[in-house]
Amino acid sequence: MATEFHNLQELRHSASLVTKVFVQRDYSEGTICRFQAKFPSELDNRIERTLLEETVKTLNSYYVEAEKIGGQSYLEGCLACATAYIVFLCMETRYEKVLKKITGYIQEQNEKIYAPRGLLLTDPVERGMRVLEISVFEDRGSGSSSPSSSLSSAGSSAR
Amino acid sequence: MPGFSGGGVGGGVGVPASAPPRPFRPSRYVPVSAATTFLVGSTTLFFCFTCPWLSEYLSSVIPIYIAVIFLFTLANFCMATFMDPGVFPRAEEDEDKEDDFRAPLYKTVEIKGIQVRMKWCSTCRFYRPPRCSHCSVCDNCVEDFDHHCPWVNNCIGRRNYRYFFLFLISLTTHIINVFGFGLVYVLHHRQQLDTPHAAVTMAVMCVAGLFFVPVAGLTGFHMVLVARGRTTNEQVTGKFRGGVNPFTNGCSKNISHVLCSSQAPRYMGRWRSPQAVDVQPPFLRPSLTEAQLEAKVLDNGIQNDRHSTRSKSSLDQMESQSADAEPPPPPKPELRYHGLPRADTEESSLLTDAPPTPSMYKYRPAFNSPGRNHTALTHPNKMIRGESLDSPSPTILQSSRQPSYRSEPSSLDGTTVVGGGVGGRRGGVERGEGPGGPSGTAGVMSGGMSGYSLTGRSYTSYPSSLVLSTGGSRSSSLRSAHTAHNPLATLQSEGTTDTSYKSLANQTPRNGSLSYDSLLTPSESPEFESAAHELSPQKPRALFPSATITGQPEVVSPSSPLQGYTSPFLSAQIAQQREGQLLQGSATFSSPHRAYLRAVSPPPPSSSGLPETQHLLQHNQDSSSRAPRNLSSSSSSPGARSLEPPVSPPPRGLSLGKSQTYIGEAGPQHKPRPTGGGIVLGGGGAGGGQQAPQSTSRPVLANHTTSKPGGGVKKVTGVGGTTYEISV
Repeated sequence: MATEFHNLQELRHSASLVTKVFVQRDYSEGTICRFQAKFPSELDNRIERTLLEETVKTLNSYYVEAEKIGGQSYLEGCLACATAYIVFLCMETRYEKVLKKITGYIQEQNEKIYAPRGLLLTDPVERGMRVLEISVFEDRGSGSSSPSSSLSSAGSSAR
Repeated sequence: MPGFSGGGVGGGVGVPASAPPRPFRPSRYVPVSAATTFLVGSTTLFFCFTCPWLSEYLSSVIPIYIAVIFLFTLANFCMATFMDPGVFPRAEEDEDKEDDFRAPLYKTVEIKGIQVRMKWCSTCRFYRPPRCSHCSVCDNCVEDFDHHCPWVNNCIGRRNYRYFFLFLISLTTHIINVFGFGLVYVLHHRQQLDTPHAAVTMAVMCVAGLFFVPVAGLTGFHMVLVARGRTTNEQVTGKFRGGVNPFTNGCSKNISHVLCSSQAPRYMGRWRSPQAVDVQPPFLRPSLTEAQLEAKVLDNGIQNDRHSTRSKSSLDQMESQSADAEPPPPPKPELRYHGLPRADTEESSLLTDAPPTPSMYKYRPAFNSPGRNHTALTHPNKMIRGESLDSPSPTILQSSRQPSYRSEPSSLDGTTVVGGGVGGRRGGVERGEGPGGPSGTAGVMSGGMSGYSLTGRSYTSYPSSLVLSTGGSRSSSLRSAHTAHNPLATLQSEGTTDTSYKSLANQTPRNGSLSYDSLLTPSESPEFESAAHELSPQKPRALFPSATITGQPEVVSPSSPLQGYTSPFLSAQIAQQREGQLLQGSATFSSPHRAYLRAVSPPPPSSSGLPETQHLLQHNQDSSSRAPRNLSSSSSSPGARSLEPPVSPPPRGLSLGKSQTYIGEAGPQHKPRPTGGGIVLGGGGAGGGQQAPQSTSRPVLANHTTSKPGGGVKKVTGVGGTTYEISV
């Protein structure tokens, strides 16, 4: 009975967080920021290996770019010293710029690849760059929402 | 900003995981105030009294130069004082899925071929990345921790080391400037030393001279550190004294890294963009590979078979048996599939990489909020029941992925925890909310089971932890106490590294004959329950909801995912038997096992009827029967055959060494036994290797056709045709 009166919102299945899978840092080359390309087995039936590995590889390349010690970072340092670091108030450092790019990339990956599969990547910077957190969602189905929907439909019909 | 804030250094106020505000301690600010006073005060005096004459007598460039150096010093001083050194935010609860006392204290990771230990930080709740250290003054873990400098009242870490280093250099230069030009002034005013200008200049020179020695010394020290690529912490603690520093890239690269690298980002107080991505079902799933499909078909067949005939018949049999001994038990929960949550904790994945560094336990208080677990556990049973048959499908897939599992029906058979080794091993209990409910129980159950198998190299083992832990990796099995997400998830292996369950997998019978159902006898279940209940004091949240003696079917004994059927009605022997089976395949024994075993009352070795069960019950102890401590009088089993483990160590602190000892003890004892359940539950979860010889001898996981001869002896047929008699 309740199912007949669901409105569109109630018909929507809800996804609930089931667990989190963590992709650890790869410290084999020192403290540079790199994540392990190893595919976590928990995601075996959730996403294709290649997709996640591709994402991790891209992230790693971003981090390499961020931490690159080259002309730009050197000039930034000199400028900062020259201005007694006041320039940090106005200018974004190279690392921060790359982090912004990474955030955008993760957002895009989430939208395109991970959310449709019930997964969600969390930007590693929010976890102190220690792990790449992948939240795994499960479809709770409309069953869980039916009691409330029946109530609401009953309530609305009562009015 | 750090330094003068009362709250945690680093000012991570916006982050949920930041440290709680700490009391204002004025004594912390004395050195930094003194330093500031001396620096600014002396320089101001110098500018007022000495510089006019210098600009006039020598050149006006000098005061400008001194001013520039002074400003540079001050800027670096301020940056060193106020900049977040690289504080790590506290780990969220979900990252720490494992129980503290079960997790190892150290994890090793290989950096450029050198083993580096990562220590568990109990405050921040993660394993400290290499070069990270926890500052007790600031109560934060700091990345690339150098030291805590009282003169700036801040930690020096990755983000502000450069400013600190430049501060030292510029301060040394400034001191030299002040002292030098003051000396010039004094030398030119030898006859006018009683003038205030000269007096002030001399005072400033004294201050400068006084501070020059320590500051220059510190500057030189840090120059050496930078050239060698070490932190003060590493230098002072002598980490690389005799060995190689894996963090160095050569002198010039080290220097350029300190001075020229881009400013490292802040982790605390970051602006978090609101999550704009909406996760809505239906979800895409990857297509199965052929192998997986094949496995799935295979598994399905077995599963169906099991459901339909064997298990049911065994169940009936069991129930009838139980009826003899006791009032009819509640219907058994369908926990067959549950056992095998895997824990994919942060640590567990770390574990898969690193060789084990056992013998120390974290001793962390359980991180999970009771509520969460409780929720997981409250409805788990129901859900488990309902879902046990449903949930396996993905897990089957997962399990099927593992070649080792593929042909094992036991993997599908949740109840065959025995096979439980299989399930158990996976251990990875996935923590989940809501949906994790059933898994919670399953996790608990499977944890137990998996615990056995997984703790090949596990460090801690508590019976409860075993029960609860369904950690995917070895030690992680110990940790996961939380809701097992997927009952059969444990089948998924992360497991290439886990030899324990591989061996277990190899031993589990392929014909799907593993079934605990036949093992269940209600007669001693209350006893078991109480024992189990007592066994797991540490995991109240996970265990107690289930481990009630009320004989609810759903109660999950701490022991295992398979618990479903075991908990209320499982007789001690059966429990033991199951345990034995579980242990058999698994190479890991852990004290939890032991503790777990404590709850069950193994029949005395002397009783001929149960040679196998005895073995199964591991025991480091000698198999002299002792009345089980925990077993309540409600136990209907005739005898007190409870064999109490000779060692009743607290789950914590079991070292691998201990476990090995236990194994050793148990081994010879059980060897003569035909059926070999010589599974020794090592205290610390002995490595699988040790168990291997014993376990290969017989997979006790047997399915059993239990018959109940009049004397209350149950016959259980194991795989391979061996028969065990368990006296009920």
